[in-house]
Amino acid sequence: MEKDRKKFSGGRRYRNEDITVYWKPDACVHASYCYRELIEVFDPGRRPWVDMSGASTDRIIEVVNMCPTEALSWKWNDNERNLEVGPEHTNHIRFRRPELMGDEAEEPEAWEKPVSVRIMYDGPIIIKGDFILKYDGNTKEMRGGLISLCRCGASNKLPFCDGAHRKTGFEDI
Amino acid sequence: MDSTEEKKITTVVEVIDGGPLKITGNIVFQDIKRDITGQTGEMYLCRCGRSCNKPYCDDSHKR
Repeated sequence: MEKDRKKFSGGRRYRNEDITVYWKPDACVHASYCYRELIEVFDPGRRPWVDMSGASTDRIIEVVNMCPTEALSWKWNDNERNLEVGPEHTNHIRFRRPELMGDEAEEPEAWEKPVSVRIMYDGPIIIKGDFILKYDGNTKEMRGGLISLCRCGASNKLPFCDGAHRKTGFEDI
Repeated sequence: MDSTEEKKITTVVEVIDGGPLKITGNIVFQDIKRDITGQTGEMYLCRCGRSCNKPYCDDSHKR
């Protein structure tokens, strides 16, 4: 009998009867969608922090797809079904960031896209796209970049977010 | 000119030391809590958590 919770390279995985959710902590930018949307499944204060019995498979898929990075991703346990998964069904890197897969060329007009700036609910600023980043005297060219910047002032990794807003109870009012 | 040459990046995200985040260029903006979306060419965002006009900077960091 397979255990519901297992380690894999770079993270952990959690299963129910339908799907496996993969968690890669190093990729997390603390956007906080997962626990704001579905604390019954994703509770950072609980160990293990993912409880696959907390919601329906459809709802878990919906919330995993909100993750702006590859920190959370999912697959059907039935591999046949994975063949039918398209970009509209998943947040998987193969569909969202094809340039990182190396085998599919990015469409040229993609470079024309505006930079996306999102203010997360009581959380960081998430910036995605092609931009020049200047901080602490550094200038970095970010192409297809994704950064998460502190908005509460309490991060130990300034200017970047380290999730401190959750501990300090930062409220966006 | 090589058509595959990468286009010049025009959007700049600048973390102002002891101040706000300055973003200039081609920006699509979304504030989830306030349900605001829009496009703009320049914005100054609060980084200290003390602004009374969040998500924008109101110079509260100086006080």
